[in-house]
Amino acid sequence: MRNLILICVLIMAAFHVSAQYPGYTAIKDINAFQTGFAAASQKTTSIKSDFVQEKNLSLLADKIVSKGKFWFKKENMVRMEYTQPFQYLMIINGQNIYVKDSQKENKISAKSNKLFQQINKIIIDCVKGEALESGDFNTRIFEGKESYLAELSPVNKNLQALFKNINVIVEKKNYEVTGIEMHEPSGDNTIIHFNNRQLNTTLPDALFAVH
Amino acid sequence: MRFLLFISGICMLAAYSSCSTAYKGLQAEGENDCMASFKPAFSRALYNTNVNVVGKHLSGLLIIKTMPDSSVRMVFSNEAGFKFFDFGFKKDDFTVYYIFDQMNKKSVIKTLRKDFQLVLMTHLQSSNRYFIEKNDGYYHSFRDGQDYYHYVTDASCKELLRMERAGRRKKVMEAVMQDYRNGIPDTIGIKHSNFSFTIELKRIHDAPDQ
Repeated sequence: MRNLILICVLIMAAFHVSAQYPGYTAIKDINAFQTGFAAASQKTTSIKSDFVQEKNLSLLADKIVSKGKFWFKKENMVRMEYTQPFQYLMIINGQNIYVKDSQKENKISAKSNKLFQQINKIIIDCVKGEALESGDFNTRIFEGKESYLAELSPVNKNLQALFKNINVIVEKKNYEVTGIEMHEPSGDNTIIHFNNRQLNTTLPDALFAVH
Repeated sequence: MRFLLFISGICMLAAYSSCSTAYKGLQAEGENDCMASFKPAFSRALYNTNVNVVGKHLSGLLIIKTMPDSSVRMVFSNEAGFKFFDFGFKKDDFTVYYIFDQMNKKSVIKTLRKDFQLVLMTHLQSSNRYFIEKNDGYYHSFRDGQDYYHYVTDASCKELLRMERAGRRKKVMEAVMQDYRNGIPDTIGIKHSNFSFTIELKRIHDAPDQ
């Protein structure tokens, strides 16, 4: 009887996983993934990419799509420039964040704001792949035909209020991050797809200057 | 002593304010449908949004959508997708579906609710309606408790000059809706009178049929 219950639980768990992420199954060899991903992350000194961002509002059955350009330079510099359908620039350079919207520009020190500090760290860690090893999240890895899905569930209560989980999509053939999905407790999510990726090109520091 | 002088000054100011009235002479108004043509038909609209409040600046995207049950949902998030609030309006009902923890204060929610109710014109069906003709326009006013929602038009009620929310005597805030396209304003502006707080909305035509 016990065995029967155990089998039922395992079948239900398997269904739950496949229902949660269609096309993905729980990974068998986590070590192989971690080794491959860490090696690829270490080799990556810069990323230049286009991106498409989808904000999906579940209850409204609506989405807001925006596009732009993305740059990353090791160790901790990120520039996200939204070009459509609005103009918005965000630069993260170490502890400093620079934001320019349609009306104003603003320089924020992440040090002065714990939330900014956490979000800043998440963005950098996701791009660098370090979020997978961070103590801020419980991590599960799933495997699809062409990509891995790293599911990061926040441990911290403040982050739990903002994100149910953050999924990092990693291409199988080269361990490049091709997408980041931020799922909110409400069911809404923000999905960023990185296209036309160029790795390890020379990016001037001026691109990440926080004026 | 200085403190006492300050207090008395405030009291005098309060006394003066309570004597003065910007809306003296409001008369009960019967049925008048002329306001209905200004009521925005937010089937679905996305706005580039700038909020300035006592020296702080916040920008983002506000989506306004009419739901199948005829309620109106308003979701405000920053450009990167970080959600600040998700409100629902249906006639007299108001629902907070979500609000970011740091904004979750009664006074903030109340102010935003009333400001957007003015813009959505949720009080047009109210029987507590008043009218007054003044030098600067024709005031079509609706009372909700202690609050008055004033819609100021030209004489022929063909143009909505501005909207005002007020207490019994004093204006609290002013709003404008301009450049309607298919019943949806391209520009919406909200400006408070008693403290530095403005909301500026500029429509983004992000869907091909808009």
